[in-house]
Amino acid sequence: MARWIRFLIAIVVGAGLGLVYGWLVNPVEYVETTPDTLRIDYRTDYVLMVAEAYQGEQDLDLAMRRLAMLGDTPPAEIAYQAILFAQKAGYADSDLERMQALLSALQALNPIQEPPPP
Amino acid sequence: MNDEERGPWYLLTGLIIGAVLGLLYAWIVQPVQYVDTSPASLRQDFKDQYRALIAASYVANGDLVRAEARLELLGDEDIYRAISEQAQRTLAEDGATSQARALGLLAIALGQDGAYQPVPTQPVQTRPTNTIVPLTPTPTSTLPATPTPSSTPEETSTPTSTPEATGETPSSPATEAPVTTQDGQDGTPTETPIPRPTTTLTPTRTPTPTPGGPFILMSREKLCEQKFSQPMVQVEAKNILGQPVPGVLVIVTWDQGEDHFFTGLKPEKGLGYADYSLTPGMVYTIRLGETGQAVTDISAPECHSGSGDTFWGAWLLGFVQP
Repeated sequence: MARWIRFLIAIVVGAGLGLVYGWLVNPVEYVETTPDTLRIDYRTDYVLMVAEAYQGEQDLDLAMRRLAMLGDTPPAEIAYQAILFAQKAGYADSDLERMQALLSALQALNPIQEPPPP
Repeated sequence: MNDEERGPWYLLTGLIIGAVLGLLYAWIVQPVQYVDTSPASLRQDFKDQYRALIAASYVANGDLVRAEARLELLGDEDIYRAISEQAQRTLAEDGATSQARALGLLAIALGQDGAYQPVPTQPVQTRPTNTIVPLTPTPTSTLPATPTPSSTPEETSTPTSTPEATGETPSSPATEAPVTTQDGQDGTPTETPIPRPTTTLTPTRTPTPTPGGPFILMSREKLCEQKFSQPMVQVEAKNILGQPVPGVLVIVTWDQGEDHFFTGLKPEKGLGYADYSLTPGMVYTIRLGETGQAVTDISAPECHSGSGDTFWGAWLLGFVQP
């Protein structure tokens, strides 16, 4: 086998080892993440918490500030997506009602779309 | 020099070059991206906001089991300590805001919850079963029991979580195990352990103190049995039955200012207990709640030992709510 071919094979093997080390053995670690990276079920539970708190406090500004932690998406859209997931995941009716109430209040400020049917 | 004389060093050189290229690609060009993170990986300030929201939600719904399950998601070694410290920190920084009060009430409820057991957050391989805890009516259970899932995860290959309703109607899946998904490599979700909540019926309680009349002073005692590092006033709030009352607002005023704190934030000293450090030379007025009896002329208590030494003591004020 030609010398340069063996040299190329060595590079490929080395690159493979580097990828294994970089992706599996010692990958980049994200330990200080932001709420907008939360998985959809955690995001939904977060929205439910906001809805529960809103039910008691009736402070829509505070609820919107809390939802803003989940990213740049409009709060009503965040609540809407959460309700869709909650419906698929079989959340209790009482929880869905709280989230619907929050969504209705948010849509009164900034209508985006019809709330999903319960 | 011919090839035979140069030896196999070129192979090592190739390996090193390849490894460097691989690491550059893996760490810089296409690093692992975590897009489906769990609350446990959140930055500390976001965790604080998450805890505050849990507390606000708890105050609204009174569901301690759900609040505990949510706190477990944050991965704190001791959720009670974490919430207590944040409550005291918030009180010190922001005063008696609704957020501080909510955190305090949740801390108090957790402190009272002797049966508290951490919810497992690591995926297990066994299939979950429903655990129904029989309801035991107690005088403090004022809210209807709410089925709340605890986490008994199982491994599946689907990337989303679906609560499994077997028996009781599940409410929101508040406890999930952390999942890491590699994104941006081949677009295919890796096999991801997804928990499925089981249903646990547990009575919940209302954390707010028993309503009643204004607190009145029943005893005022100067404590000199032990040396305090700084003068302080200790408050004990009790109801007419002599039971400690947590969550009572204590208002301390002096010439140039006012401070607020709550009873019960140091449950190891009693659920109706609170203390406050006094500044020598200042004269304070203390009352419990907005309408409680004002106790005036509270100043740093000086004590004297048998040898004539002077040291700081404490005032112990006992309040009762008739």
